[in-house]
Amino acid sequence: MTETICINVNGEEFTATVPPRTQLAEVLRDHLHLTGTHLGCEQGVCGACTVMMDGRPVRSCITFAGHCDGATIQTIEGGDDPLGQMLTEAFSRHHALQCGFCTPGMLATSRDILTRFSNPDEALVRHELSGNICRCTGYQGIVAAIMDVGSQIDTCDQTRTDDIRRAAFTPFEPEENLNAAPDPATAGSVVQDKDWTVITRSFGLNHPVGDVWDLFSDVSRVASCVPGASVAEVTEETFSGAIEVSFGPIKARFGGKGTYANNLQSRKGHLSGSGADKNGQSNVRGELHYDIVKKTEDTSTVDVEFRFNVQGVLAQFNRPELVTGFVDFLLQRFVANCNSVLSGGTATSEHKIGAFSLAVAVIKSWFKRRKT
Amino acid sequence: MKPVGFQFAQPDTLAEAMQMLRDVSEDTKIMSGGQSLGPMLNLRLARPEKIISIAGLSELREVDEGEGFIEFGTALRHAEFEDGSLPEPISGMMRHVAKGIAYRAVRNRGTIGGSLCHADPAADWITALTALGATVRMVSAQGDTRDVDMTRFIHGAYRTELNSDELLKSVILPRYSSSAVWGYYKTCRKVGEFADAIASWVADPKKRYSRVVFGATAGAPIVSIPLSRQIAVTGIVPSKEVIKAELERLAPDLDRVKKHLLAVALQRCTKQALNHD
Repeated sequence: MTETICINVNGEEFTATVPPRTQLAEVLRDHLHLTGTHLGCEQGVCGACTVMMDGRPVRSCITFAGHCDGATIQTIEGGDDPLGQMLTEAFSRHHALQCGFCTPGMLATSRDILTRFSNPDEALVRHELSGNICRCTGYQGIVAAIMDVGSQIDTCDQTRTDDIRRAAFTPFEPEENLNAAPDPATAGSVVQDKDWTVITRSFGLNHPVGDVWDLFSDVSRVASCVPGASVAEVTEETFSGAIEVSFGPIKARFGGKGTYANNLQSRKGHLSGSGADKNGQSNVRGELHYDIVKKTEDTSTVDVEFRFNVQGVLAQFNRPELVTGFVDFLLQRFVANCNSVLSGGTATSEHKIGAFSLAVAVIKSWFKRRKT
Repeated sequence: MKPVGFQFAQPDTLAEAMQMLRDVSEDTKIMSGGQSLGPMLNLRLARPEKIISIAGLSELREVDEGEGFIEFGTALRHAEFEDGSLPEPISGMMRHVAKGIAYRAVRNRGTIGGSLCHADPAADWITALTALGATVRMVSAQGDTRDVDMTRFIHGAYRTELNSDELLKSVILPRYSSSAVWGYYKTCRKVGEFADAIASWVADPKKRYSRVVFGATAGAPIVSIPLSRQIAVTGIVPSKEVIKAELERLAPDLDRVKKHLLAVALQRCTKQALNHD
C-alpha cells in the first residue's frame, strides 16, 4: 500500500508516493534528497529531526507521511530568511556547534523560541531547548546564540498572557464528591530483587482445597486460566507453549518452554520457564510458586509468588513500574479465571487469543505430533 | 528503527470514522496526534495492521461553552491549551498543565484525547483532569454516546474504559468559581521526560469541591478522599508523614522513593495553590 502526498518544502511543491509507514524525515531525506534533516533517536526524544511544519516545530521522525499531505515544511535547507540568517551567524559566532548533528533541529527550535517569546532570558531558553539534545557543546554556545539574536530583534508575533489569577483560600468543609471508594489494597508486596521483579499475592478461592490443588497441578488446565496463554506440549516435568500479551498498543507473543513440579503432601508447586518474542526481540523469564492452603471446608487460600525478568527491546522501553502494574493485572485476571473454571465455567481472556492464533497453535502441535 | 508496514486510513468526517470502527480488528489502532504511538511504532513495540487517523476531524476539534461546563473536542492539541487560545474552566490550570507536557514540538501535534486514551500513568492530562472532576464522552460505531467520570475511565496503565469500537469524542469540564484554587506539580529527571511523580489539588469553596490526586504511579491516578478533606478544612500544607501514611494505605506496592516523591509533589502543589510560593 502506498499513498501519494503533496507537500510544499521550502517553497517548492513536491509529490511523493510512499508507504504509510514512511516518516516525514524519510520523505525529506530519501525521496526529496534533503539530507539536512537528521535522524537521531527516532522516538521523539533527541530533537535532531525537528523541522517546521505549517510554521510550528514538529518531530519529523514521529510524524508520518499521511499527516503531511498539503503541509508546508521548512527544513534547514530553507532556513535562509532574515531570522534564519541571524541565527546561523550567531551559532557560528558563539561556537554553538561542533559535530553539527543536532544543529538543524536546534535551529528549528531556536526559531520557534524567538517567534514565541520576546527577548527570552537564559532560564526560559534552556527550558524551551530541553527537547533538543547536543552531545558536544554543553549548550553554552547555543543558549548564548539564541539570547544574542533575541536581544537584537523582536519577532514575537503573539502576546502571551501568563497571568494566573490566584484566589485567596478560605477553608471549608467539602462534600464527598466521589461515589466510589478506592479499591481496597491488595494483600502482598512488590519488590525488586536485583534484575528480578517479585510480586507476592494472596487470594481466596471459594472452592475446597482439593479442587484447587487439582487445578494447579494440571499444567494445561491452569495455563488456560492465564490470560493469553496456550500450552502446546506437556510431559511429566516440562511444558512448552506461548503467551500472547496485549499491553495497550504493545503486542508481544512469547513462545517458550519450562519445567514444573508439584508436591501433593505440602500442596506447593512451581512453574518456571523462559520465552522469547521474535518480532519484538525481547526475552522473558518467569517463575510462579504457589502454596495452596485450606481455609474452611469449602474455601482455600492461594499464596503466589511470581518472579519475572524482561530483557531486550521491551526492557529498553524502560518503564518497569508499568510492566509491574500490568503483570499484577494479569494475576488478578488469572484469579478470576481460576474461580470461573473451578465453578465449572470457562476462562475468559481479555487479550482474546482469537480463533486464528488458537488454530495456529493447534496446527503446530498437530505437526509436532506427526513428526515424532 | 522504522515501523512495520501498516495500512493508513484518514476519514474526513466523524461519521466516516465511526463507519470504519464497525469492522475494526484486534490489530487496528486509532491514532490521534501520534506522539506516543509514533515512538512505539518506530521501536516496533506496536505493530498494528491498520491505523485510523482521527486528529484531522473537525468534529473532534470543537469547543462548546455551556452554562456550568466547557466541552473540549478530543483532537485539540496541547499547544492550543498552552497558548491560552481556548476558554478556561479554571483560571490558568489547563495552560499550566499543557505547558509542562514533553516539548513544544510534541505539544504541537499531541492531543488531549490521544493522551487520555493512551493512558500512560505518567501522562499529565489523566491526573489533571481527574483532579478537575472531568467527564469523558465516548461514541461507538453504532452511534451510541456514553459519558464516564475520569475516575472510572482509566483502568490502569494503558487500559481504559474504551471499547475497541468506540472513540473518545470530548472531555467535559465543570466550570469553577473565581474563588477556586488549584495546584499541579510534577517531578521529572529532565524537563519533558516522563514524570516520576505528579500531584494535584483542586478546591472550590463555592462548590464545596476538594480533590487530591496522585499521578505517575503504576496505574490509574489515585484520589485521596481523606487528604482532599484535610487540606480543604485546614487550608494548611499536610506533613510528609501524613501524606506517606495515606499513600501506604492507598498504594502499598509503590516503592519508598516513589512515595516520597509523591509526598513532596503534593506539598509543593498545595503550597502553590495556597499562594505560599
